[in-house]
Amino acid sequence: VAAIGETSGQLALRDPDIRLMLRVRDDVPGAFEELVELYQHRLVAIMHHLLGSAEEGEDLAQEVFLRIYRARKRYRPRAKFSTWLFTIANNLALNALRTRQRKPVVPLEVRDSGPLGPRPAEQLVRDRANQPAQRIQQQELAGLIRQALEGLNERQRMAVVLNKFEDMNYNEIAEVMGLTVKAVKSLLSRARTNLRVALQDYIYMDGEPAAADEA
Amino acid sequence: MAQHPPLNDEDRANLVAYLDGELDEAEARALEAKLNLDPNARTEAEALRQAWDLLDYLPRPEPSPSFTNRTLDRIATLRPSATNQVQRRRRRWLLRLAWVAAVVLAAVAGYAGASLFPGPAGAARSPETDEALVRDLRVIENLRQYQQAEDIRFLRELEHADLFGDTNAGY
Repeated sequence: VAAIGETSGQLALRDPDIRLMLRVRDDVPGAFEELVELYQHRLVAIMHHLLGSAEEGEDLAQEVFLRIYRARKRYRPRAKFSTWLFTIANNLALNALRTRQRKPVVPLEVRDSGPLGPRPAEQLVRDRANQPAQRIQQQELAGLIRQALEGLNERQRMAVVLNKFEDMNYNEIAEVMGLTVKAVKSLLSRARTNLRVALQDYIYMDGEPAAADEA
Repeated sequence: MAQHPPLNDEDRANLVAYLDGELDEAEARALEAKLNLDPNARTEAEALRQAWDLLDYLPRPEPSPSFTNRTLDRIATLRPSATNQVQRRRRRWLLRLAWVAAVVLAAVAGYAGASLFPGPAGAARSPETDEALVRDLRVIENLRQYQQAEDIRFLRELEHADLFGDTNAGY
């Protein structure tokens, strides 16, 4: 930490993940394993949401970790570590989505993401749905929502995923995607409007607005 | 009831930013006032909110149990092994040693060369050389004049005073 600039040092003091990455840079045994454990869930989830495929999502998440490892010696903290990581993820995902557009594949249905069938957490959700009809409804709904998400263009989808599932604010999304805050605001507005249109059959308006319309 | 114009892109962007908690206090207050007055804006806000909440129905994907190991296995292939590191360190030392040896060799060769083949400026003169120089000093001093003469006998004849008549003729 002493070897880096003051601003980087201050960042490192505030962000424990930067300190972890600096240990990775210095080849401290076990540091990279710790990093993978720490970020794999978030990274795999994001990639899966973006690509709509568990397998592709894992492959791409793995590629992000490989890139981080290869770039470790050049690492200089300039922002939150997660911002750096998701910037790499953003670039890789957008490339993958563009490649896929050039070479279309059959979209996968909503399915169990584990190779050995449903995982315990998924099974629990299923058990809670008492009625078979309700179970099918939930699956169908998830499938329709995923379709709506996949209907967005890749940048809108990325902004939605970062905002919704990573709880990133507009500033952070702008940094990850290399956009202005104003552009992110516009991007998310269009994305959410498109989602509302795609999912309008599942939006129930009751009470005041309808009454006001009638008036 | 007052007619409200439909929402334009900017209104909608502000509405979404409001739902995301991204407007500052003044902007948020202004938008809330608009929502109170405009039922269409309220309907739109509610629809946007519901559509956003529907995303919660997507199952949260988790990495497969083998993900960590598969990732670390791939990383392991990139890691320099202990043997490689030792070899690299040894190679680095050998290179340094070769440089030192080259410098020492160059110094020794230079010294030996200077001793075996002394140059004219630095060469030490033997006593015989000095003696010869002293003996031939006059010749050396007048070498240019001697070079004008054809031979030594001619020079000796020049020494005879009567060669050009009486030198004491008193012109």
